[in-house]
Amino acid sequence: MNTDVIITKNISKTYGTGDIKVHALRHTNINIKRGDYIAIIGPSGSGKSTFMNLIGCLDKPSSGKLFIDGTDVSQLNENQLATIRREKIGFIFQKYNLIPTLNALENVSLSTSFAGVKNKDRLKRAEKLLGMVDLSKRMLHKPSEMSGGEQQRVAIARALSNDPSIILADEPTGNVDTKSGNRIMGILEDINNKGETVIIVTHDPNIAKRAKRILKIQDGVVSEENA
Amino acid sequence: MLKDNFNLAYKNIRERMSRSILTLLGIAIGIMAIISLMGLGEGMNQAVTGELSSLSDTIIVSVGQGLDIGSIFSGGGLDETNGEYLTERDIADVKRIQGIKKVSTQLSGGGILRYNSLDVAASLTGMDVNVMHISYGIEDLESGSLLEIGDQNKCLIGYSVAHEYFDSDIAVGSRIKINGEKNVVNGIFSQYGTGGIGSTDDLVLITSRDFKKITGQSNITSATIQVYDVTNVESIADEIEQVINENHGEDDFVSATTMSSILESIQNIIGIMQMMLVAIASIALVVASIGIMNTMLTSVMERTREIGIMKAIGATNKDVMLIFIIEGMLLSIVGGIFGILLGVFGSQGITGLLTAGPMAGGGGGMSLTPIISIGSIGLAVGVSLVVGVLSSLYPAWKAARMSPIEAVRYE
Ligand SMILES: Nc1ncnc2c1ncn2[C@@H]1O[C@H](COP(=O)(O)OP(=O)(O)O)[C@@H](O)[C@H]1O
Ligand SMILES: [Mg+2]
Repeated sequence: MNTDVIITKNISKTYGTGDIKVHALRHTNINIKRGDYIAIIGPSGSGKSTFMNLIGCLDKPSSGKLFIDGTDVSQLNENQLATIRREKIGFIFQKYNLIPTLNALENVSLSTSFAGVKNKDRLKRAEKLLGMVDLSKRMLHKPSEMSGGEQQRVAIARALSNDPSIILADEPTGNVDTKSGNRIMGILEDINNKGETVIIVTHDPNIAKRAKRILKIQDGVVSEENA
Repeated sequence: MLKDNFNLAYKNIRERMSRSILTLLGIAIGIMAIISLMGLGEGMNQAVTGELSSLSDTIIVSVGQGLDIGSIFSGGGLDETNGEYLTERDIADVKRIQGIKKVSTQLSGGGILRYNSLDVAASLTGMDVNVMHISYGIEDLESGSLLEIGDQNKCLIGYSVAHEYFDSDIAVGSRIKINGEKNVVNGIFSQYGTGGIGSTDDLVLITSRDFKKITGQSNITSATIQVYDVTNVESIADEIEQVINENHGEDDFVSATTMSSILESIQNIIGIMQMMLVAIASIALVVASIGIMNTMLTSVMERTREIGIMKAIGATNKDVMLIFIIEGMLLSIVGGIFGILLGVFGSQGITGLLTAGPMAGGGGGMSLTPIISIGSIGLAVGVSLVVGVLSSLYPAWKAARMSPIEAVRYE
């Protein structure tokens, strides 16, 4: 039990109130082991992002319990959730979501600044991570001066900057070409090989096949897809 | 952390340069108004204090309600009483009071001036020479000079007397006859203009000795008294009032006013004026702070996604608030610094306008230099800090309330 980094107990997410309710996620019970590499597949609108946002503590489940690293996060307030996001989660978005006014180095070191890490240490770590994603030469460039693939690699470095327990990537290759996509997947797999838990949402069956475990979502219902 | 916030704030301000400059300008104008108006008030205060504090040992005794502040501003002249005068006995009694150094009287009465064989009726004023020097300065004259001790048969005349009473202008050195006595014009007052209390335009000023000799009268309208010890000046003034009122059997026949009490009430008035000016300037600041609030609110709306991202990667509500408050503060402080610089120069400009413009007459001979103290600069910095923080509180709060879901919406 204590090896499971994520445990969901009957969690559901319902959007909207009154007559028009969307049951985006229904009564889900899933355990995810530390160091696992999981692909989430399913048609558009099936609830994949909803699931990711709940695990990433960006949103709260409407019912049920969610344990991240042993903590029941369904009971936490906004600031406590922020702390969980900062310490345990590294989120990679489909549209990179870098801060446009900051350069790559500043973007990567921003979340550690919220964590109160000393300036020197932060920048050192950000430089190292940007080196890891092969962007040492683009450190002082702003997002607008980089390609989509490069921006996504900056976003990966940012997700790693707080040394999180879980890396969540919601369609990380959705906005880049195949070559960049492969490169991004390569980096994520490297990260997983180093022991990090990685969860990605993807439409690409080839990408999904490389994962250790595949979860399929259909109409808000999560099921195991056996290889 | 803080360094990062400043960095972020700076970059956002730069990103929206023209809007930032306009916002900044609002604050700058408000601060400029405060700085320059406070500087002017302080300058006014010091000019008056400088002019009057040298007279702190002086008491002015006059029949009726006494000196008002208007007459002090205009040079200390006193005006007609209702036919009631101080008597020689009053003066003799006052002289007996302990601590009095010197008593000088001012006399007044009618007389006939003759120039170029033309006669004109005028009112004459007799003053001891030292009182003349207290009441007027060389800067009040358009030509000539004040009388000196020992001068006889010399007079000072007002602008209208010199230029309007007779067919031809009277110049310094001209001879006129006062009640048939030959007199030389020693000085001519500059045009006073606004008329009313304290005007010098119709003045014919001679020494007290000449006044008695020429008119045969000694109608004392007021007396100027100097004391030895400035600390006693108020109690001596009270005693003088008591003695003279007793002589005339009236409760308030006479009033004895000290320069320090006049100075105090002038300073009070200037203080109130200063506060009013600052209050008016504060309106500019309120407008400016609404400007900051507006700019910050727009910025929050535009950066909805950015705020979501920051929260998604672990920023707490407090972190987000701080980012926006620092941005507002930075705008306001930079605006404030510009405002201080503008205020220092602006107040010189306002002074120029005042001394050249229609209000110049009220200033008399006083020179007005704005004084900008470290205190008012400190206040300006403090005010812009507070304005920056206060006006960004609400936008920052709105920003902090945003959900991290904003980062992933519309994907
Ligand atoms: N904030 C929201 N408000 C209302 N409905 C939403 C919201 N977010 C998602 N949904 C709905 O929930 C369902 C699942 O959405 P999502 O998790 O984004 O699907 P996926 O990522 O698999 O495409 C969809 O029907 C979607 O329209
Ligand atoms: Mg989605």
